[in-house]
Amino acid sequence: MIASIFASRILNDLLGGITAGVVIGLVALSLVLIWQSTHVLNFAQGAMAMFATYIGMTQLDHHLNYWVCALISVAAGFVLGGATERVLVRPLYGKADINPIVVMVGFLSLLEAIAAAIWSGTPRFIDPPFSSIFFQSDGAPTGLSPFALFQIIAAISVMAATALLFRFTKLGLQLRASALAPEVARLLGVRVNRLLTLGWALSTAVGAVAAVIISTGDTGLYPANMETVFIAGFIAAAIGGLESPGGALLAGVVIGVVMQFVNDYFNSGYAGFVGVILLIVSLLIRPQGLFTKNAQRRV
Amino acid sequence: MNFLRQNTTTRRLVVTVSSIVALMGLTFVVPPITNSTLTRGAAIVIAILGLNFLTGWSGQVSIGHAGFMAFGAFGTAILLKHFSSLPIAATMLLATALSALAGLLVGIPATRLSGPYLAGMTLAFGAAVPPLIQNLSSLTGGPAGLQLETIPTAPSWLRSLRHDTTSLITVNAQWLAMFSLLVVGVAVMLMSNLHASRTGRAMRLVRDNDVAAELVGLNLPRTRVLAFTISAAYAGLAGSLMAFTKGSVSPQDFLVGLSITILSLMVLGGIGTISGAILGGVIYAYSDNFLSWLTNSTGIDPYSNLGSNLKTIFFGGLLIVTMLTAPRGISGLISKVFAKVRTSR
Repeated sequence: MIASIFASRILNDLLGGITAGVVIGLVALSLVLIWQSTHVLNFAQGAMAMFATYIGMTQLDHHLNYWVCALISVAAGFVLGGATERVLVRPLYGKADINPIVVMVGFLSLLEAIAAAIWSGTPRFIDPPFSSIFFQSDGAPTGLSPFALFQIIAAISVMAATALLFRFTKLGLQLRASALAPEVARLLGVRVNRLLTLGWALSTAVGAVAAVIISTGDTGLYPANMETVFIAGFIAAAIGGLESPGGALLAGVVIGVVMQFVNDYFNSGYAGFVGVILLIVSLLIRPQGLFTKNAQRRV
Repeated sequence: MNFLRQNTTTRRLVVTVSSIVALMGLTFVVPPITNSTLTRGAAIVIAILGLNFLTGWSGQVSIGHAGFMAFGAFGTAILLKHFSSLPIAATMLLATALSALAGLLVGIPATRLSGPYLAGMTLAFGAAVPPLIQNLSSLTGGPAGLQLETIPTAPSWLRSLRHDTTSLITVNAQWLAMFSLLVVGVAVMLMSNLHASRTGRAMRLVRDNDVAAELVGLNLPRTRVLAFTISAAYAGLAGSLMAFTKGSVSPQDFLVGLSITILSLMVLGGIGTISGAILGGVIYAYSDNFLSWLTNSTGIDPYSNLGSNLKTIFFGGLLIVTMLTAPRGISGLISKVFAKVRTSR
């Protein structure tokens, strides 16, 4: 009896962790997309996704359908990402590392403040389109709800679509080429500038999917609601190596599960610190990321 | 007075001591509210100096310095709680050392990282500290934080220097301002010496060209860890001063927002300069006054959604504009103007 309760608790945490983890992986993926195309670590990624979600989800007030609002959010993310690259990021290419970091950190606090100014800092709760009550097995909850299942499927589909786009389409080839060797790509007739904008637009759209999922349900939508998941996403991206989308997803799931266990068995206050320790340990073992093939420059 | 023309230790000592003495003199005549404002800015000046050392002089970025400040502030409060007989200077030094130790531990893995990775790691660190403090409640007082057991009060000699009619609150505010000025003076003096020293030169070489630095025989990781440790120590000192002057510490005072504020002020003032750090502190101290002027003159309700976020909107926007148009900040602009004046003469 006790063993079964214990097993059920472990299963609960595992499934809950995976659910949270795929979303972390999605955020990590959106960071990797931007990193690969422009070598900028976008600190405003979470805030931009949050902002796009506000634009879409406040349309619920006009009695629009949940799915329509979600679609508007993703479209808003696409536009916001492209516009940000054009206006804020373009002047920064070739500058010292610190310049894009500072600008994106400034953009992060600016976006959060503007969102609070427009929509107030109070969380608004969005009803999930599917039930978030756990499936039962032998009268015990399993840690997986219909909405959680939807989260996992949605996140994995977005990742698969991105992977297919990059791997098998001409557009994907051009995107990879302009990231890897912009000069050569330009000589071969690829419109590199346009593709960099597209890279940011795509990445922010992916981020917006994650933000819509997070804002639906218990967490609610508020200006800082992406901060924690952004940090977890960064840790996942760094552990996986900022070059590897698959690694980012896997690392995201691992972090999600670990943090879920820490929350359950220790204390939610320690989750952030455990994340930092995971990051430190993995970087000490393999500074270029666990899933990156090429070693970086050694001095 | 020939030594004043060169950038020697003597010159720096004379300049710093005379400015601090002059400012301390001013604390007698300015209204008590100005003294409190000065005090508020002082801790921030030290924090910016620390971040500046890391970013401006060794080329690493941190978005987690509020975490180190929390170590200094809570270290101070906890020491005062258990060893209240310790002199203030010893408490401050121990709290600073605690923060330096945290900096060392974070700095060791940080040497393996460059630019954005490092910034992300410090962000994760800075965000993890407040919840950690909140959950170690037996030591740190939990979400409510700690009240300081002893707060600095004006000594009798200062009271006897002022009029009998001057209220004790006024004299105490003045004493805190003098105390803060003294700490800032020592911090500035040490930093300017460090900047001119062999270590400071090594840091700048690492920032400008790490390959060259390695070729001339510098130990890159050691230089970077040292920069991180010194920077964290300054942040800890800032936290400790903040605790003393506020009289209380709370985990809510050290959220990521503070790290971003310090980064912004450093950029606005001017990365890599001591004058920029001081300017940043002054901007911080007077930002509330500026904000109430702004809301008054535009007629925005300061308690509305827009009014309560106006400060962040203004400074966030200013930070982006500064970085895009004048990345060397105000002190960079000033020295540009001076250079023009000099060449046109």
